[in-house]
Amino acid sequence: MSKTELNPSRWLEAHSDRSADLTTLPKHLLLANICGDGDYRLVLVDAKFGDDISARLKVYKGTVLCSDQSLPDVPSALISFYVDGIEPRTPVLGVACGSDLLIYKNSKPFYKFSIPPLSISALEQDVWQKLCLSSDEPYEKIIEALESVPLSELSGRSQKLLTLAQQEIEDYVYKYRNAELRRICPITCMTTLYRNSEDATSVSYPVLATEFGQLYVLDSQTFTILHEARISNTKATPSIVVAAGKFEVEFRILVACRERYVTLIRKDWLEGKNILQTTASIVDMLIMPGDKFICIATSDKMLNCYSKRGNKLWSVATAQAITCISLVPLQHLSLSLVAVGMQGGSIHLYHSRHPVDYISAPDTPSAIVFGQMGQEDHVMVIITLGGTINFKILKRTADFGLNQDTGISPTIQSKPLPLPKRSKLFLEQSLREKQNPTDMHQSFQQDLIRLRLTSARTLLQINSDQSGIGNTKEQIKLSAQVLGLGPTFTLILTVENMNPDKALIQLSAIFHCNPENYQLSLYTLPIPFVPPSLSYKIHNKVIECLNDGLPKDEAQGNNTIRVFIVRNEQIQPVLAATINMPPTDPLAFTM
Amino acid sequence: MGLFKTLAVFLRIKKKEVNVLVIGLNNSGKSTIINHFKDEEDKQSEIVPTVGFNVEKFQNQSLSFTAFDMSGHGRYRDLWEHYYKDCHGIVFVIDSSDKLRLVVVKDELDLLLQHPDICNRKIPILFFANKMDCKESLSSVKIAAGLGLDKIMDKPWNISASNALTGDGLNEGVEWLTQQIRDTIVNRN
Ligand SMILES: Nc1nc2c(ncn2[C@@H]2O[C@H](COP(=O)(O)OP(=O)(O)O)[C@@H](O)[C@H]2O)c(=O)[nH]1
Ligand SMILES: [Mg+2]
Repeated sequence: MSKTELNPSRWLEAHSDRSADLTTLPKHLLLANICGDGDYRLVLVDAKFGDDISARLKVYKGTVLCSDQSLPDVPSALISFYVDGIEPRTPVLGVACGSDLLIYKNSKPFYKFSIPPLSISALEQDVWQKLCLSSDEPYEKIIEALESVPLSELSGRSQKLLTLAQQEIEDYVYKYRNAELRRICPITCMTTLYRNSEDATSVSYPVLATEFGQLYVLDSQTFTILHEARISNTKATPSIVVAAGKFEVEFRILVACRERYVTLIRKDWLEGKNILQTTASIVDMLIMPGDKFICIATSDKMLNCYSKRGNKLWSVATAQAITCISLVPLQHLSLSLVAVGMQGGSIHLYHSRHPVDYISAPDTPSAIVFGQMGQEDHVMVIITLGGTINFKILKRTADFGLNQDTGISPTIQSKPLPLPKRSKLFLEQSLREKQNPTDMHQSFQQDLIRLRLTSARTLLQINSDQSGIGNTKEQIKLSAQVLGLGPTFTLILTVENMNPDKALIQLSAIFHCNPENYQLSLYTLPIPFVPPSLSYKIHNKVIECLNDGLPKDEAQGNNTIRVFIVRNEQIQPVLAATINMPPTDPLAFTM
Repeated sequence: MGLFKTLAVFLRIKKKEVNVLVIGLNNSGKSTIINHFKDEEDKQSEIVPTVGFNVEKFQNQSLSFTAFDMSGHGRYRDLWEHYYKDCHGIVFVIDSSDKLRLVVVKDELDLLLQHPDICNRKIPILFFANKMDCKESLSSVKIAAGLGLDKIMDKPWNISASNALTGDGLNEGVEWLTQQIRDTIVNRN
């Protein structure tokens, strides 16, 4: 029963299956309401890279595999998006296989979109024509012509042809003799972009990037190309694409390339602009919701954050090499964490640059996703390199200790300070500083020491000054003021509630004095409710008892009044104070 | 239903009011169960899933039932814990087909049992392993083991498998709870 109490983890271990035997890459995992019943399913690609390469599309309902179908090829990416506003709102799945985007609706194949093939050079066409006509000319001679064309501009078929050994060429040519020569451009990465509203269930468009550096935004209903752009003016092989914003209003698409830079494409841009370059390869990239900062994990064990414009804000070294990252949005706490999966099986959660939680996976995670699954809002699904599937649920009481701002140092300034231009005065001053550095330094130090001394003195004075007395635990402060010259005084007592959140209740003030010396107008007083950060004033009339019409001798009597603040039904007083009453001014008395 | 009547009659003699809390995660079947015990005339034919913090109440003579979802993160916690103070019995509904969330159920149950208004009281707890008709549902024995019910020493508890749609298993469970509440009231007087 007390197990959870002892276990300090913020995560509940919901289910783990070591025999799942899944091979799932980072972009091959998502959570979506694909049946439209509000019971969010886990969708993943299980690719096998053995002797025969194969891939399957699997759907889990809760912890149970409920659909499993084979895919034509190992996909490069998996997305889900809403295509229309028809109730019940049900998203479709998009799988990028080769140059095709396969759409699955209700887990059934529904549509196929193909990236338009690239043109084939006349030379290449000519070569294949010659090869197929089986003339007497030796193959090698014909093929030689292909070498004048850059490899990347040839079709896949010709590329392979150039790598073959002589004896294999004939079979190869024979095999493709009647097939049409095509230069397809494989989709390397994919994401979605909202059309005109950023609600989680509003319509969004698939965004595809191809091996040859083209980017396409597709209409999700007609599957026509809405926007096409070159990713960069230099060679760019996109590996990760992320998008933010709305297609019809304003958007930002970021493409991370294998050449270690990130380019930005915005509305109406026909070509991307390089905004940042990394020194190591990019493992994964995210756009943080809200501030739209770019979070990039690199292969040199670094997690980096860049501003929207691509200026580096911070980077932190991680303990192990990063294998995957995932956004962990926590709306109820209005914060977004980044889960960083690392070699060896640890997952660290970062809030900005600070690690705030550590989770462990059975072994090195290969893909992580966080979001709603089934009926639960905050589920983390981890697939490891060893093929284990692991479900963790964030405890409902977890707050990551971030609800107070303490413990989080301010992030590094992202905007340059608005510095004024260098004035003549500044130049003169710096010249003087250059001329007499020693004197200036010494006089500065002198002033500094003097300042410290003054502040220390003031502090000491305040401390020794009995102007107020407080109870730090209860956060109550009491101060007293005596007005008048005597024999009648007014004692004003101020009870101050220092606590900014809690009100003071059930307190009473008790005044205690020697009745031979003083007579008070009140001895006990229930203190009413004191709201947070406010104070309450007690006025008490004090009359000094005079000896035959004369003030008592100082030594004879005790001229103090003691005050106790007590909480009802509590033995120990909350606060006790002694007030030294001034002697009655003989002058005032004679008057 | 009939058993409820007996308890109600008994309570009327004793001039007592009994509050029963019906709790559990969202979608576990609480509204459906409550609906089952309502009289024919005020039975709701369609149950809409409760969203956010939604309290359902119904009174049957001197018996009052309060149901709410233990859902969400923190926001409504204080609100529902407020009801713990003056309840005489708890019906804890579990969706036995939701294997993924059994740990969440356990976490919520542990929080309930540790709550200052519950931990030192001998409140009877009835667990319904609901949706027993679903094919992937866990048996009540498995659920009891998964939740560690055997470790509850200081409170009478009972688990029964149920199907709130047909009413199967509901009466057996409630019979037990009625008896328990009656015993506590008799012992106290
Ligand atoms: N198969 C099955 N479905 C149930 C059972 N009890 C409730 N349901 C269904 O589960 C869903 C949630 O029930 P509801 O009473 O609204 O749950 P609540 O959120 O706990 O109030 C509804 O669609 C019910 O029809 C049951 O015993 N078996
Ligand atoms: Mg309900």
